[in-house]
Amino acid sequence: MAVLIVPASLLVLGLLVAPMLLMLRISLNQFSPTQMMIEAMSADNYIRAVTDPYYQQVLGTTLGIALLCTLLTLILGFPAAYWLARIESRWKSLITILTLFPLLVGNVVRSAGWMALLGNDGLINATLLWLGIISAPLKLMYTPQAVVIGIIAVVLPYMILTLASVIESIPRSVEEAAANLGARPGTVFRRVVLPLALPGVAAGSILVFVLCMNTYATAILLGGPQFKMMAPAVYDQFIRANNWPFGATLAFILLAITMIFTIVGSIGIARRYKR
Amino acid sequence: MAQLKLSNLAKHFGAAVAVEHVDLEVRDGELVALLGPSGCGKTTTLRMVAGFVEPTAGQILIGGKDVTHAPPYARDTGMVFQSYALFPHMSVAQNVAFGLEMRRMGRAEREQGVLEALKLVKLDHLAERLPRELSGGQQQRVALARALAVNPSVFLLDEPLSNLDAKLRSEVRLQIRSLQQRLGLTTLIVTHDQEEALTMADRLVVMDRGKVLQVGTAEELYERPANAFVAGFVGRCNLISGFVDPGGVFRTDWGGEFAVPQESAPGKAIFALRPERVALRPGTGHGIPGRISAITYLGSLSEYHVDVSGNSFLVSMPPPPNDSPLRCLKIGDQVSLTWDVAAVRLLPFEPSSNQGEEP
Repeated sequence: MAVLIVPASLLVLGLLVAPMLLMLRISLNQFSPTQMMIEAMSADNYIRAVTDPYYQQVLGTTLGIALLCTLLTLILGFPAAYWLARIESRWKSLITILTLFPLLVGNVVRSAGWMALLGNDGLINATLLWLGIISAPLKLMYTPQAVVIGIIAVVLPYMILTLASVIESIPRSVEEAAANLGARPGTVFRRVVLPLALPGVAAGSILVFVLCMNTYATAILLGGPQFKMMAPAVYDQFIRANNWPFGATLAFILLAITMIFTIVGSIGIARRYKR
Repeated sequence: MAQLKLSNLAKHFGAAVAVEHVDLEVRDGELVALLGPSGCGKTTTLRMVAGFVEPTAGQILIGGKDVTHAPPYARDTGMVFQSYALFPHMSVAQNVAFGLEMRRMGRAEREQGVLEALKLVKLDHLAERLPRELSGGQQQRVALARALAVNPSVFLLDEPLSNLDAKLRSEVRLQIRSLQQRLGLTTLIVTHDQEEALTMADRLVVMDRGKVLQVGTAEELYERPANAFVAGFVGRCNLISGFVDPGGVFRTDWGGEFAVPQESAPGKAIFALRPERVALRPGTGHGIPGRISAITYLGSLSEYHVDVSGNSFLVSMPPPPNDSPLRCLKIGDQVSLTWDVAAVRLLPFEPSSNQGEEP
């Protein structure tokens, strides 16, 4: 039976692990404007990335946006997931598919649509101006808020579906038992539903956090040129500056930070759950 | 504890009628069983009392207080669920303490309450375990303790024994009954198992298709069933449809003629006779002739299925002694059936009813 995992393992080894190892090697090289890359074994790139205030700020923005989006997605997604898990309707499977519907539209196309909606000449500003509610266009585009909203719109379905499948496995009768013993709906949620849904909260949050940390198109299109997150910064180094060693370094820092937060978060939740 | 009163209670799900015109009074300290086949509305009735199902019409009074539209958390009922519904992330003690916490009881008092409730079900030594570390029977006792710890006005049990194996079931049945009597709990229990209902309940409510067919003690239901469904559901019964002619003879649909009690009114009816009230003799000429089609030995009882003109008659009796001629009866033998006419009951004819011959 072990042979069944061979094709998938080979694919992962060849297309994920091998390029990553190459990248790791590249990140230790040195950049030269004339030769592009000089073979070396130095941590200079890493030292520069963590000491340069600019990249500290890019990393801080990325982490802040990702954590905020994960939290907001969790808060927005939980009620919807609960509703989806508990409805007894013949439309349930259709609603589940509708939840996935936003994912059918690619990130770039969706963000372009948001630009048409939020831009200075966009639908919202045009309408407000026409109604006379405002006299000058509001700055909706190219703000961190626009990026946060844009990211949440993409990652919300992942959160809802992950949570719903876990909430579905919590028997209704357990909630009824709590109510029967005198717990009001808020208490039933806090003492019974939420603790039992923690594995789903963990899985959904990790999934969403990883997606947020690696946001690219949404950050560029809705954040504008002044707004920098890590994934676009990696792109800039590789393509615009042709500085592969430093681009690889930024990519590894992004990977490391994402992994640290994911691991610490899941250990924290697992501890609470075991209690 | 308090009395529970349901008046004209009904529940419709869209066009479907789940429960209709249920009137019932459970007296202080009384155990009443709702008995019926699946889908008869007994569970819906219980869930209306607990507050999980909003009644379409009617009233629910607990201790004289109208709780018809009160939320579940404000009703002061203690319910034991069929699946037990223990909180899987809490220890046994935390499960039992939950209701006391909701009542804002102090820590010392709460710990005392938990200990007392667990002692009641003899589980105080397992207080720190998680539900998944317990056997099914132990989980069931935790569910009992959790519901009893809050000292509810009304104790509700939804098929509490259906997930236990047969041996444990009869044991737990007696334990619940003795607890209920000792604590004087006003109790409503839902079951589809007539034996469970007969052994535990002060009174039984037989339901079918959302309606209450009869309310009474076990003896009343067994000896004086109101209709063929009750006769067939509570104990076993030979039920034969036909009519009473003006001469006072019962004529079956297939041409048989049976004597009936003197005062029987003429007209269509169902002839009901308990299997243990029929006597059986080898050979013909002593009563209604028939032929044995099956014999079932059940230890304390033997059951004979007798074919009478193509209709099966059930006769049950203690296994005959070794020297009895009945001992050598085998399938295909001619026999005759006799009974005391006083044992016959005539029940109202219901053309569409399921007569529930073998529950």
